[in-house]
Amino acid sequence: MIAVPREEYRESLDELRADVESMANDVLGQLQRALDALDGDDHGLAREVIESDDRINQRYLELEADCIDLIALQQPVASDLRFVAASFKILTDLERIGDLATNLARYALAGGSETIAEVRIQTIGETAHGQVRGAIDAYVDADPEACRAIADRDDELDAACQNASEAVVRELIAGTSDRWDVEQLLDDVSGVLLTIRDLERVGDHAVNIAGRTLYMSDGDPELIY
Amino acid sequence: MSQTDTAETAENAETAATATNRTDSHGVSTTAGETVEETRPEWTSYEAGGETKLAVDDLDVHYGDDHALKGVSMDVPERSVTALIGPSGCGKSTFLRCLNRMNDRIRAASVDGTVEVDGENIYQDGVDLVELRKRVGMVFQSPNPFPKSIRENVSYGPRKHGDIETGLLAKLTGRAEPDREEALVERSLQRAALWDEVNDRLEDNALGLSGGQQQRLCIARCLAVDPEVILMDEPASALDPIATSKIEDLIEDLARDYTVVVVTHSMQQAARVSDQTAVFLTGGELVEYDDTEKIFENPESQRVEDYISGKFG
Repeated sequence: MIAVPREEYRESLDELRADVESMANDVLGQLQRALDALDGDDHGLAREVIESDDRINQRYLELEADCIDLIALQQPVASDLRFVAASFKILTDLERIGDLATNLARYALAGGSETIAEVRIQTIGETAHGQVRGAIDAYVDADPEACRAIADRDDELDAACQNASEAVVRELIAGTSDRWDVEQLLDDVSGVLLTIRDLERVGDHAVNIAGRTLYMSDGDPELIY
Repeated sequence: MSQTDTAETAENAETAATATNRTDSHGVSTTAGETVEETRPEWTSYEAGGETKLAVDDLDVHYGDDHALKGVSMDVPERSVTALIGPSGCGKSTFLRCLNRMNDRIRAASVDGTVEVDGENIYQDGVDLVELRKRVGMVFQSPNPFPKSIRENVSYGPRKHGDIETGLLAKLTGRAEPDREEALVERSLQRAALWDEVNDRLEDNALGLSGGQQQRLCIARCLAVDPEVILMDEPASALDPIATSKIEDLIEDLARDYTVVVVTHSMQQAARVSDQTAVFLTGGELVEYDDTEKIFENPESQRVEDYISGKFG
């Protein structure tokens, strides 16, 4: 059994892991509320999401500073170094997912994504949310297999987004002839297209997190691109 | 000096010369398909870039009953910095001293295996130790200049080796070459990054220099005999951070022309200055040898990982 000195150092590594996880939970909460706001046309909830983004950004800066402190003061090497480096990058992905949740909330305020029948924003949203959840679980458990599964599942999300976008365009083409309010239709369509694009990006950030986590746990840069 | 079993050594040399890889020389027996607890790291077939300057094969050192170094094999590429790290008593300094046979001076030490410099086994009979140590110079932990002038410290080696002649006899016989000596002293001090600090006081006693300057003077003294390999045993451990960084800069600079092997207790120093790092762990075992980036970012061995991360056993 190996005695483990540098107790404080080990504790700060554990703390960083817990902090990243808690920030991820916060971001996932934002994403879920933004999806709910879209679903229920809930402007109050949407505003709440937008206002909370500052908190996420603040937390991001704090945790980034913690990573820099660890590197400067403790000079981590080997798996510790890979863990800190991965966390540093994952924090950025989380902050971006927070921004995308804010975007979704803004689309909810602009209103009207429900008009396009074939597009199941909520289903796509659930998949994207699940990808982030899975990537963060993989990070906390340092689970390389889970990382690869996240990367594989991203193709499904991409396909769903692609299909949804095509459905929107089809609706646009079909709708122009029998709808008198072309302006409104264009607004709806662009809102839905942006929503789909942003959810696809959420998925991309989940893959980034999985890629950094795989590097962290196995030293394998396979999923980093 | 009590080198044992010359016949075996010769056989080892032959084996080393014909072997295509040396994966079987670390005392952990593996056969195809068998898994051992400590997975054999891939570094055993590690080949650093460049020409091999020093080839060590199956080196064992005993100090009496103490088995200080166990079957160590590694190739040191020329014109690079190789760091040897590991806890006290792991055998890294013993290993370093084997590279120019400094252990010969320790009566109880016995050395088995081969150390080749440019393909020639330095442990075979008839090796001229003075010539060997001129080719493979050494710089020690504490700066140890002679209590003489700065100039004499640098010219001492070349004079002893007869590379330059000075003194009354040389003057009387017309063999003195003061210009050559002057040039050699300047060149060596320049190369050791000390010239600018001492060129106006070459006649001053070397003991009046600061610790960091003394260490660079020792490096200049080593360089003056035109070595090919420079061994350094914790060259900066007695120095402050500024003097340390000068030595580290110098080590990197020297590696453009010389093969540098440096023992250090500072893992950060090894990470900063070396191209490849060898990790020795308690028991005189070379556990992992690879590119320095690999060792510090993603080592193969869990024991190496624990050691460099500060989880000391």
